[in-house]
Amino acid sequence: MTAAPLAELVGRVTKVAEEHVRRTDDEATFPVEALEELRATGLLGLQVPAGEGGLGGSLADVLEISTELGRVDMSLAMIFAMHCQQVAAVLAHADGRLREELVPEIAAGRLYLGSVTTEAGKGGHLLTAESAAAWRDGELLVDRFAPIVTGGQQADGFLITLRSPDSEADNQVSLVYASRAQVEIEPAGGWNPLGMRASDSGAMKLRGRLPAHQVVGRHGDFHTIVTTVFGPMAHLGWASCWLGTAAGALSRVIASVRGSRGKTDLSSELLMTRLSRARQRLDTVHALISHAREVVETTADLSVPKVQLLINAVKITAAEECYRAVDELVDAVGMRHGYLRDSPTRLEQSLRDLRSAVLNYSNDRLHLADGRLTLLDQEVRFA
Amino acid sequence: MDPRMAELLTPYLKFLNGRELGPDDSLRERGLDSMQSINVLFEIEDVFGVSLPDEDITDATFATGGTLWTAVAAQLERQEVSS
Repeated sequence: MTAAPLAELVGRVTKVAEEHVRRTDDEATFPVEALEELRATGLLGLQVPAGEGGLGGSLADVLEISTELGRVDMSLAMIFAMHCQQVAAVLAHADGRLREELVPEIAAGRLYLGSVTTEAGKGGHLLTAESAAAWRDGELLVDRFAPIVTGGQQADGFLITLRSPDSEADNQVSLVYASRAQVEIEPAGGWNPLGMRASDSGAMKLRGRLPAHQVVGRHGDFHTIVTTVFGPMAHLGWASCWLGTAAGALSRVIASVRGSRGKTDLSSELLMTRLSRARQRLDTVHALISHAREVVETTADLSVPKVQLLINAVKITAAEECYRAVDELVDAVGMRHGYLRDSPTRLEQSLRDLRSAVLNYSNDRLHLADGRLTLLDQEVRFA
Repeated sequence: MDPRMAELLTPYLKFLNGRELGPDDSLRERGLDSMQSINVLFEIEDVFGVSLPDEDITDATFATGGTLWTAVAAQLERQEVSS
């Protein structure tokens, strides 16, 4: 099979997404049609090497596609980016039988992977877990409540963090795979948020018994997966989605302003300055993502403080700057084009969606970690 | 591993549960979290009079008491050579 160029495949998905974005936002329902197209195009298996039936996409491809999807629908972009993060963990850390079982399914687009890492009481803190897995008759018992599971109702399988069995410390966390058929899923609350409405990220309970080989990497060693895969993929991936959303908003504003020549005063210095500032914010985020991607691709040990600080800076900066850019665009084009729900600029939805960016693994929490990392990096060298 | 290193680390290891810290025991599994690393570095400066260079501040250095001691010992040696 010769795959079409990635841009063409992405175009097929964004076309479907465009058709449904208004409804999925209104109804807070998952973009199932766009997910189907992600399956059909093979983009769900983007990172699987070509020799194993995938598209052989790189980290740069993941980020670029996240941005392209974000231009149309930030919920869909985040769904895609987080799936890619799960796939990257499987490709890098699952081995033997588990890898053989999962990779062909991912490549074929039959396995949309949901992430179960949140827990009540610890928020998004990744490196500890309250729920413990237990052994019974050689199987892993899973009984887990998760307050936020993006796309949980649609996922074909889950990667779940649990306190590793026989662990003494709450920072011995394991990552286990569970197929949808292996767990009983009970929704535990609805999803009626301000923005990101199509991400369907409601709470759920998962219960089941898993074969012992379904641990990704070593038991208790989730920390390594976070440093090498989850951290960089999450922060660069999310930032790319947000950049896409703000870029899409700016693009639609420009189309609106150019389309209303004669009615809009293009000599307005206030309008020009605001457009300029929005563009500058997005260029800053774009440059930061590109630089961090290069560092991630070329650095052997990502645990060095200056690298961790850079990866965190991408997330913090993108969350703030993309939101601010769209917020200022609302001022730039005013009540009718910037604030009404049915304006073709869709600034209202972009602003609501981007409001979640600082909360998604909270910037406050990241600043606390960064403060300590800054103390560890006395010479202040940049990655 | 120098016994002073085990002594220095022990208060940070809430899951040591009264056992003695071996050079190959995972510090993470014994309860050292990354947030406490800065306090450990300060203590190393106080006890041994050396500070670790920024490029040594990695997960690999903080993996076990033994790896941390290796990094400290390298700085002690450098200090002796230059004095």
